[in-house]
Amino acid sequence: MPSLPERKVGIVACSGEELAEGTVTRLAALKVLHEIRRGETVTICLPLFLAGGEGDRAFAKFHPTITVDGCARKCAAHGTETYSGKPAASIVVGEIAAEHGIAGIEGRRCLNPAGQKAVDLTAERLAALVDQLLGKEERPDAGASVETPAASSDSAVVGCSCGSGIPVKVLTIAGQSVEVVALPLIFDKLREARRVPSEAVAQDLLEMVKVYNYVCPETEASWREVLVREFAAYCERELSR
Amino acid sequence: MNDGKPQVVIVPCSGIGKAFGSVAREAGYELCDELRPNTTRLVALSKLVLGDEQARERVRRCPAITIDGCKLMCAAKLVKHNGGTVAREVAVLDAYRQHKELKPDGIAELNAEGKQLARVLAEEIAEVVDDLGRDASGGGNHA
Repeated sequence: MPSLPERKVGIVACSGEELAEGTVTRLAALKVLHEIRRGETVTICLPLFLAGGEGDRAFAKFHPTITVDGCARKCAAHGTETYSGKPAASIVVGEIAAEHGIAGIEGRRCLNPAGQKAVDLTAERLAALVDQLLGKEERPDAGASVETPAASSDSAVVGCSCGSGIPVKVLTIAGQSVEVVALPLIFDKLREARRVPSEAVAQDLLEMVKVYNYVCPETEASWREVLVREFAAYCERELSR
Repeated sequence: MNDGKPQVVIVPCSGIGKAFGSVAREAGYELCDELRPNTTRLVALSKLVLGDEQARERVRRCPAITIDGCKLMCAAKLVKHNGGTVAREVAVLDAYRQHKELKPDGIAELNAEGKQLARVLAEEIAEVVDDLGRDASGGGNHA
């Protein structure tokens, strides 16, 4: 079975503009994304789960995702779970600050020293969780538990936060309209591996699709049938180009 | 309300992938903290994602100015999604087109040009806030 692109961990920060802790989430996420776990992490703007498209809402189904919130409202955690998928882990700046005896985080526009310390500690916690999710546990003291999501295999690179670009295809399977996350990528990979539509490919397709999508066991035969038919149509389109 | 003036809600986008998102956030702070602290109020976009009742009530009760960093216009969409009225949709990209010399760079830390662009943007929005205040004063109790 061909492998999909390298797996990355998603990070969703609340970025809460009203509180200094919101600025901490944003800066900690950026530190992980751009510095300490560069190349292993991707992000998306939280509002895109509502304002964006299907590809954006597929984010947490596709990437094991860590949410980082500034306050107990947990907008990022709840928003991600409601509109995209259950986060693999969720952390709250206030809890991390309390654990380390940091008080008086201020300066939503320009953080005070307590806020800057909170950024460092939050980024460290995020990095430890990223390592756990990627199976590169270098920090045994990572403080939050991690749930491995269903979407746990390799995943594609997500671009900038202005649209995550995770490909989704809508199919009708067993009479139901279904958004199949990552199907175009899976087709690309199978074609690169010079696979052609067949019974064997139908089973491989189903197994790969199940990494990113829930497939009811009773409907697997329908899934196989539709997937191989769609793959055949995809191959014909590619040939005619 | 402050001094009889209506509060205008300011909702910047939470863009985390590009410098334009940081300009939106910085412009929001410049406006609400420095230029018009008595007549504006910042509302976190994440609360509108969650459907926080207090935030929803605020955008329903007060005119909102949204500041978006990209064409997806998340802030404007979410204010409308929550039943609010967008008095003005501001796009950082439009401001940049008018001030090409102020090219923003850096997300965690904006460069000087980005901060200047945010300042220019905030000044322009401050005039809109004043206009909204005048309209409301002349038109009765509407906010």
